Amino acid sequence: MSSAVLVARGLSKDFTSGGQRVPVLSGLSLCVRPGESLAVVGRSGSGKSTLLNLLCGLQAPKEGLITVAGESFRRPRKSSERSDDDARWAELRRRSIGVVFQEANLMPALSLVDNVRLRAHLAGHATGGERGWLERLGVGAEADRYPDQVSGGQAQRAALAMVFAMAPALILADEPTGSLDRHTADAVADCLFAMQGDSGCALVLATHDSELAARCDHLLDLSALDPAGTE
Amino acid sequence: MMLVRAFISHYRRHPLQLAALALMIVLATMLWTGVTVLTDQARTSLFQSEQAVATRVHVVRTDAQPVGVDDFAQLRMAGVCVAPWLEIQRPPPEGRVIGIDPLAMGCFGEAAPGGNAGELDGAPFLDISEAAKLADDGYDSRLYLLTANGSVVLPEGYALRDFSLGPSTGELADSFLLNLDALSLLVLLITGLLVRSVHRLGIAQRQQSFDLLYRFGVPRERVRQFLALELVVLTGICVLPGLWLGAQLAGMLGGGFGQALDSLFDVTVYAGSAESLPWQAAGVMVVLVLAVCLVDWLLPRRWQTAAVSARGRLLAVAVLLFGLVGVALAPGLGWVFVGTALVFAGTGWLTPGLLALLARWLSDRTDGKASDPLTRWRRRELAVMFSHLALPVVALQFAMATVLAVQALVTTFEQTFDEWLAQRLEAEFYVEVPRGADAGLAAEHLQSLAGIGAWHRVIRGEARMTVDKGESVPVDLFALTPVSDLVAGWTLLASIDQPWRGLEQGGVMLNEQLARRRQLDVGDNLTVTIADSVISADIVAIYADYGRPAGEILVAGGALPESFRARFESFSVNPGDLDMADIREQLADVWSVPEVTVRDNASIRALASQVFGQTFLLTRAISLLTLVLAAIALLIMGWVFFTTRVWYFRLLGIWGLPARAIQRQLRRLSVTLTLAVTMAALPLGIWLTWVLVSRINPLAFGWSLPMDLYPLFWIELGLVAAVTGLVVAHLMRRQLVQRAGEAQGET
Repeated sequence: MSSAVLVARGLSKDFTSGGQRVPVLSGLSLCVRPGESLAVVGRSGSGKSTLLNLLCGLQAPKEGLITVAGESFRRPRKSSERSDDDARWAELRRRSIGVVFQEANLMPALSLVDNVRLRAHLAGHATGGERGWLERLGVGAEADRYPDQVSGGQAQRAALAMVFAMAPALILADEPTGSLDRHTADAVADCLFAMQGDSGCALVLATHDSELAARCDHLLDLSALDPAGTE
Repeated sequence: MMLVRAFISHYRRHPLQLAALALMIVLATMLWTGVTVLTDQARTSLFQSEQAVATRVHVVRTDAQPVGVDDFAQLRMAGVCVAPWLEIQRPPPEGRVIGIDPLAMGCFGEAAPGGNAGELDGAPFLDISEAAKLADDGYDSRLYLLTANGSVVLPEGYALRDFSLGPSTGELADSFLLNLDALSLLVLLITGLLVRSVHRLGIAQRQQSFDLLYRFGVPRERVRQFLALELVVLTGICVLPGLWLGAQLAGMLGGGFGQALDSLFDVTVYAGSAESLPWQAAGVMVVLVLAVCLVDWLLPRRWQTAAVSARGRLLAVAVLLFGLVGVALAPGLGWVFVGTALVFAGTGWLTPGLLALLARWLSDRTDGKASDPLTRWRRRELAVMFSHLALPVVALQFAMATVLAVQALVTTFEQTFDEWLAQRLEAEFYVEVPRGADAGLAAEHLQSLAGIGAWHRVIRGEARMTVDKGESVPVDLFALTPVSDLVAGWTLLASIDQPWRGLEQGGVMLNEQLARRRQLDVGDNLTVTIADSVISADIVAIYADYGRPAGEILVAGGALPESFRARFESFSVNPGDLDMADIREQLADVWSVPEVTVRDNASIRALASQVFGQTFLLTRAISLLTLVLAAIALLIMGWVFFTTRVWYFRLLGIWGLPARAIQRQLRRLSVTLTLAVTMAALPLGIWLTWVLVSRINPLAFGWSLPMDLYPLFWIELGLVAAVTGLVVAHLMRRQLVQRAGEAQGET
């Protein structure tokens, strides 16, 4: 079996609210290999988005170890360590981690094709195949339109095109179909799983949608976890 | 009450926006109040000055010689009620004072001239004995003999003339004030745009709340009423400190302003700080704020959309072209201002769209190279910003253009003035002829000195020039003898071949003001009455004579009749191989006086520069304050607007762009924005410079200036813009870091 793309061990995360510490995640561990998909489910506030933010370095854990594409991270103790970690996380997000949100989050000043081009450029890929990615995701005809000129479903497909254009090792998708109607959501999900299967990348998917979660290889229910944590 | 709370909840959440709006209103009120207080005081002072001598006439000698104490005595003995009026011109900051004799005024009764002098803000009137002391100290002085009315019977050899404090400058002073009014209106326009832009930004962000209130059943009319009330209350509160600050500003600039009018127009005006707050300025500001912020409700929506449509842009181009042609061909000052307003309107209408178009075009060029999508994104973002920040962009453009033009005008004037001074101050030393001394003796002595450099005698007095229908008007007379090499450097605006030889052979030269006013040109024949002689002479040259409106003619000393009595005489001397101290002693012996006043070139230049600096202090101050205000507004707007785009910078971070690279993008974006506005301001500023020097100045003041440009100042302005951009980027960087910290929120 190939080595894991993503490994997390003993992850903990607290937030401060009203002067009190609120534990969100405690002692969480997980492992995802290339081509695998993991659904993260749980009630609102259970920490799904927080977990995804930890896994792509947008937030730092209180405790624990995260390894992505061979790069390991612990909570930095010194500001110099934090700066180094920020740079390594940025490099990973640029080249290896594709992030998809509930909203498409495209640059409104750029057309769909330019958004894909920008993302591929940041990942260090030669530009030129952007229209192909949009066509594969069914929005080739809208390539030169701007985000506010297309539907939510089309924008989300464009966001997926951006992620696949960067050829990531890991995709982190936070409620990617949450703002879409059932029909559009299914179509977007079909695209996501098909492309993930083709590319062989790993997928971590946070969702409320049980049907969507059921399409993943593994399931992690954060609601079921107690503070002791579970792997 | 709950509705009010819901309504103002936005400002509870974003207190800085409220503070920004309040700050804009305070600063706008301050600028407007400051300028209007100054111009109002100037107008009042002018009116009071005119009133003080409104119905007066003065007695002159029919031989055109200046009147003196002997004349006063002779007139009083003949039973004519005359009173002496001795004007002393002192260098700034004291300026002009007027000596009057209260005892002599007795025969006027209650209508004594200067009797309402107490109403003037300042202390221009003093006892004539004190004024005489000042005259003895060497200050330029001029004596008038005022009389009560025109029906008095005068002894032979005297005539009556209308009395004014100087040459006929009312129209010129009005023009100067009109220019200031135009500058004030430009300031008002700019501040109005800034207030509107800050307010509209807040409204755009609150729109969602208003829509929600509407869905909850609150009528839109009610929302508008609340908004209007909110503005009235806010403006009412903010104009008070604005008024006070404006009055303080006027007080600070008042001395310079009075000096400006005095220097430019020979008109004594006393401007100072306001005694009470100018409430009418408050009214103007309340109306302005309400108008610029709420105008959208009055204009039909289709007008608003049409403004940015292709047809609207075409109309803007038409307005711009109409304004440009209008300014070039306008026959009067008023039409020049109207044309200028149209050019500003057209430019402001077109600029944001053109800048956005340019940014998009540059972005597409990047597309052609397909090299850097990040650059493409940045340029696209820039295009969005030009559209969203249209109002502050235009306000900054106007402010920068104004500053550029005023700076160019003042610097051009300064340099031209320096050149003019260099012409007039060609000699190393200037010797004043003491009162009562015979200048002819000194001239003979200087002529006899071997080894002396170039020198000439300067004679100043009055003459009368015959104009149409046999009427004559007073003009200043300037005579030189001999016509030495000291005048070789004069720049003549128009002349015959060998003009100085022409002058020696009986020709006459005019200053530019007189030539323009009387539409005279080289080759025209002029009839001039000097003392009891009438001279007919051809105009051999027209020379530049900056900084005062009086008409002046220049003749060779030999053309002056024996009966002519000079008002002022001096010698310009280059000592050559001799020592000036020796020459000074010799002249003291010739005149039999213990001391001769000799001024050196440097001290006169310093004095002239001081007068000049005072003259343009106000103009520089207003334009710079406007620029500062516009820069602050752009800073506020840029900062607030960037906060609405902060997510896209964070998105770049999520996509893996390192923090430093994001900050670099941010800096490049904000600095490009402010520099682009500077670039857009350049052509408008250059055009405005041309309007000021080639259109407004000749129409208002009677003399023109060369059109010079100062790229170094453009660079300075660019640096100000770049610094503003960097500050915006810095504020944004803080916000990015702050938001990231909030998002982390971990323990």
